Amino acid sequence: MIRALHLATFALVLALAPAACAQPAKTVPAFSALPDWSGAWVRATGNFYESTPEQALQPAPPANSPRQHPPYTPKFEAIYQDNLKRIAADRYPDPVSVCGTPAGWPRMLATPDAYEFVVRPEQTWLLSENGPNVVRIYTDGRDHPPADEMWTTFTGNNVGHWEGDTLVFHSIGMKGVGSTILGRAGVVMSDHLEVTTRIRKVEPDRLLVTMVLKDPEALTKPWPVAFTFKRLPPDSFIYDYACAENNRNPVTADGRTLTLDTKGEVIDKGQ
Amino acid sequence: MKTRLAALSLALAAITAPAFAHHSGAMFEPVKEVTLKGVIKEFQWTNPHAWIQVNVPDASGKLVEWSIECASPNTMSRGGWKKSILKPGDQVTIVTHPMKDGTSAGSLVSVTLADGTTLGFAGPAPAPKPQ
Repeated sequence: MIRALHLATFALVLALAPAACAQPAKTVPAFSALPDWSGAWVRATGNFYESTPEQALQPAPPANSPRQHPPYTPKFEAIYQDNLKRIAADRYPDPVSVCGTPAGWPRMLATPDAYEFVVRPEQTWLLSENGPNVVRIYTDGRDHPPADEMWTTFTGNNVGHWEGDTLVFHSIGMKGVGSTILGRAGVVMSDHLEVTTRIRKVEPDRLLVTMVLKDPEALTKPWPVAFTFKRLPPDSFIYDYACAENNRNPVTADGRTLTLDTKGEVIDKGQ
Repeated sequence: MKTRLAALSLALAAITAPAFAHHSGAMFEPVKEVTLKGVIKEFQWTNPHAWIQVNVPDASGKLVEWSIECASPNTMSRGGWKKSILKPGDQVTIVTHPMKDGTSAGSLVSVTLADGTTLGFAGPAPAPKPQ
């Protein structure tokens, strides 16, 4: 009888073993434990990357609030100052103007169109209508790949976990200056940038995103920034965004954004 | 129409600041505004930007075609715009941030239709500026 029980137990363990191995890591929460971030969202006003959490949490952050100055190293301060001159001279091209490359992370959160924050136990997807862009954040307990299995990409590699109702994730492996900008105010980082992001719903229709940017090549110290997003009415739709559909703003080799007429001819008087 | 736009303007007031979806706005005057009275030639309801083509008489009476850049139709539609709002032949009054180099083009501040309806860059009409 006892021998039969041992055999039965052994058989049961064998039968369950594959299922046990396939179980997700212990860090994956139940879907019902995750917050409701459904719907369509848009960025609140405020400067891209240059608002403190206090500024971002104002009822209506001003569109032109005082800008923080990134704590740049001398090398990147020089790049930044050159970018400011290029902006003034309309020679600071936006890489996404060519309609061929993603905005990248964290820049994809700085567009004027709508967003979705799709929460699932093992991943969260940040979807921007503009672009469109997709950032996948793995929350199944995995870590970043080994360094020799990584290469720089626009959205990098994003892994994280849930701390109650707050999504916390770490991003590395993003393409830096030369391939991406962080916004049109001249802020750029190197491809050694790492970002720790926390997202939490602070009001029924408001998400607060705080980030700490670290970059040993570009920054002398960690740089905290914040954004807020407002939820659109529940019946809002998200649409196609086909950048090349009618792009009347090509960019010249020296970085000037042109304007075309309806026949594709350049109409800038400065040309 | 006006009632819906008024409601939307309350809901969206904080999110309609002009922001270009895919290119620098450095070619436009950031503050200066020009008012154009003209006739719609074409309304391009396309990404990455919608465009208003409008014929405007210059000082000598000669018609000049202006290209007025709007937000994306995605954001505009959520702000109260429809692709049928502007039709060829419509009389309109447009306020625009013109291009710095004098090109007959600009970014839309507002457009007012013959029935008085006014729409802004991405949706409801912009709030009056403080005096």
